[in-house]
Amino acid sequence: MRVILRTKPRKKPFIPIEAEAIIPQNFLRKNDITVYEGNKERKLDEIFYITTEGPAVSPDQVEIVLSGETGRIKRVGEYMNAGRIVIEGDIGMHCGNFMSAGEIIIKGNADAWLGREMRGGIIRCEGNASHYCAAGYRGEKRGMRGGIVQVMGNAGDFTAEYLSGGEVTIHGDCGDLPGVEMRGGTLIIGGNCRRPCGNMTGGICMIFGKADAMLPTFRNTGSEEKEYGGHHHRMTMYRGDIANRGKGTLLVKIN
Amino acid sequence: MKIEDVVCTFCGCLCDDLVVEVDGRRVVSVENGCTLANEKFMGDHRLQSPIRRNGKGWEHISYDDAIRETAEILCDADRPILYGWSGTHGEAQSIGIHLAELLGALVDNTSTVCHGPSILAIQEVGHPGCTLGQVKNRADVVVYWGTNPIDAHPRHMSRYTTFADGFFLKEAFRDRRLIVVDVRKTESANIADEFITIEPGGDYAVLSALRAIVRGKREIIPPSVSGVSREQLFRVADLLLSAKFGAIFFGLGLTMSPGKYKNVRNAIELTEELSRHTKYTISPMRGHWNVYGSNEVFTWITGYPYAVDFARGIAFYNPGETTSVDVLRRKECDACLVVGSDPGAHFPKACAEHLARIPTIQIDPHTNATTHLSRIQIPVAVTGIDAEGTAYRMDGVPIRTRMLFKGEYPSDTEILERLYTLVKEAKGP
Ligand code: SF4
Repeated sequence: MRVILRTKPRKKPFIPIEAEAIIPQNFLRKNDITVYEGNKERKLDEIFYITTEGPAVSPDQVEIVLSGETGRIKRVGEYMNAGRIVIEGDIGMHCGNFMSAGEIIIKGNADAWLGREMRGGIIRCEGNASHYCAAGYRGEKRGMRGGIVQVMGNAGDFTAEYLSGGEVTIHGDCGDLPGVEMRGGTLIIGGNCRRPCGNMTGGICMIFGKADAMLPTFRNTGSEEKEYGGHHHRMTMYRGDIANRGKGTLLVKIN
Repeated sequence: MKIEDVVCTFCGCLCDDLVVEVDGRRVVSVENGCTLANEKFMGDHRLQSPIRRNGKGWEHISYDDAIRETAEILCDADRPILYGWSGTHGEAQSIGIHLAELLGALVDNTSTVCHGPSILAIQEVGHPGCTLGQVKNRADVVVYWGTNPIDAHPRHMSRYTTFADGFFLKEAFRDRRLIVVDVRKTESANIADEFITIEPGGDYAVLSALRAIVRGKREIIPPSVSGVSREQLFRVADLLLSAKFGAIFFGLGLTMSPGKYKNVRNAIELTEELSRHTKYTISPMRGHWNVYGSNEVFTWITGYPYAVDFARGIAFYNPGETTSVDVLRRKECDACLVVGSDPGAHFPKACAEHLARIPTIQIDPHTNATTHLSRIQIPVAVTGIDAEGTAYRMDGVPIRTRMLFKGEYPSDTEILERLYTLVKEAKGP
């Protein structure tokens, strides 16, 4: 089954819409799906033109396509456990929160907290991701725990904060403090970043661009070769963060 | 008439030893206060009555009209925001939060532009803090990191640290060692035993380095960390470790520089590391006189200290998403009520522009930068002068502020109670 949701024009287009109900499993039942526009609850058809094509008997047969002005729609794909969501443009914050399986494709940019505390599945963002991509909620000691996040563009600050499992790849640049408090999993940064892996206790971070303002509390333990983008690169290997008795591995390409 | 033990409602020190002379409804003199306190008590530039913007300028309106129109604006909004709260007493803050819940509004206080990141760090790793009385009586090493108390909290040093004799420090100025860390040489740095000049944005790295040194990992420290030499870092670490009781105070230099709450977390973790060897505490230098109170009141009622979104009827908290600067910058909200703060002066330009675009109502005794962005302003009594209520000092000690005389202005509590009643009537049972 294919569900196409195209946004209707809104009087106040900057007010965010909270749409955690937009997940494949919800479209199997023909229940009234509602979302919130600011402090008002709205029926799905007040916000979207809805088209449904074909049948489905299980959530993994459901594909949702979101198009139009979707950059202010938050929490799409939250707790998603099967199926596919394709976003034709940008998407608002918290896309794929806690998702455990399935696939989300974002053709534009993703706002902050993309794949927050994700457990499984795949998120692929073809544009840029904002701050806290693949991170945790405030005060949460474990961020993303499993699955794959791929960002083809750049990501903001605090990418993969508290990463505990799974694999996050940012093909472009990252902002400040990627992999901060990281404790497991793998973070791959194709471009440049600043102050990677502060306070990390575990996991592996590989940086194939430049790491500016490297923290003084990582111990150089030699070098190693790693493959990225079809090429082999010689990397300096660090262990740390020693300020935090950390046993994480940070590999930075030798330029 | 001279009134003793008056509480100064200006900065987070909440000094409670002022002597104020009052003549009818006028403050004549202030003793013991700093220059900021003198200006607060003696300054007399109050707005006379509620004002509303009309096409050409401002018109005076009655309190009834101002409150009714405010209620209508807030009830009509899909994403109202109630901001400020740190410049009023706890009783008014409490009504404000209930009003936000009733409206399905977002309610936020000034922590959003000051120590919000400190709270985020405390939520991650806890807060080894203490009262200022403990510091005064025990601390033999005091650190001011990213804060300049001589200018911003003028009596902090004379009441609690460098110049204040304590139970275990009979000659404080000689017995206490002072470390100041900043990006420039401030007045406070001039009297420090050790002044560390950090390159802007370098706090996190310096804190990490100090943590490693305190852990005995001196060999990994490079010759210079963010402009601070290895030798000075070793010297400072030794000074920190020499304390019997150390107190670290930090300000916006730490919370609002790159890394934000991670800087504060690193400072807290340094404090914990030092406490493995001796006794250390860490405390934020809170700015507004009752900003700590706003965090307390918010937390009792909603479970969260600031940036609480009631849009869905339940409290949701996510600084960066539900903080007023972010909400305004993204042009999300469609009405704003400002109480006891001046976002027009403190917020970035894009936020101020949005405040001017939407109906903004301000409840404040004085005209300020926010007045120029507002549609309506309602003047109120000044807590600590002609209104009273509970406030929290920067170390979390509640102090009852006093009313020095009964003036003609209603208090924040009275205005907000009337507003709440109108909104409740409009929303129905
Ligand atoms: S230090 Fe702060 S509270 Fe104390 S008198 Fe000065 S302004 Fe008032």
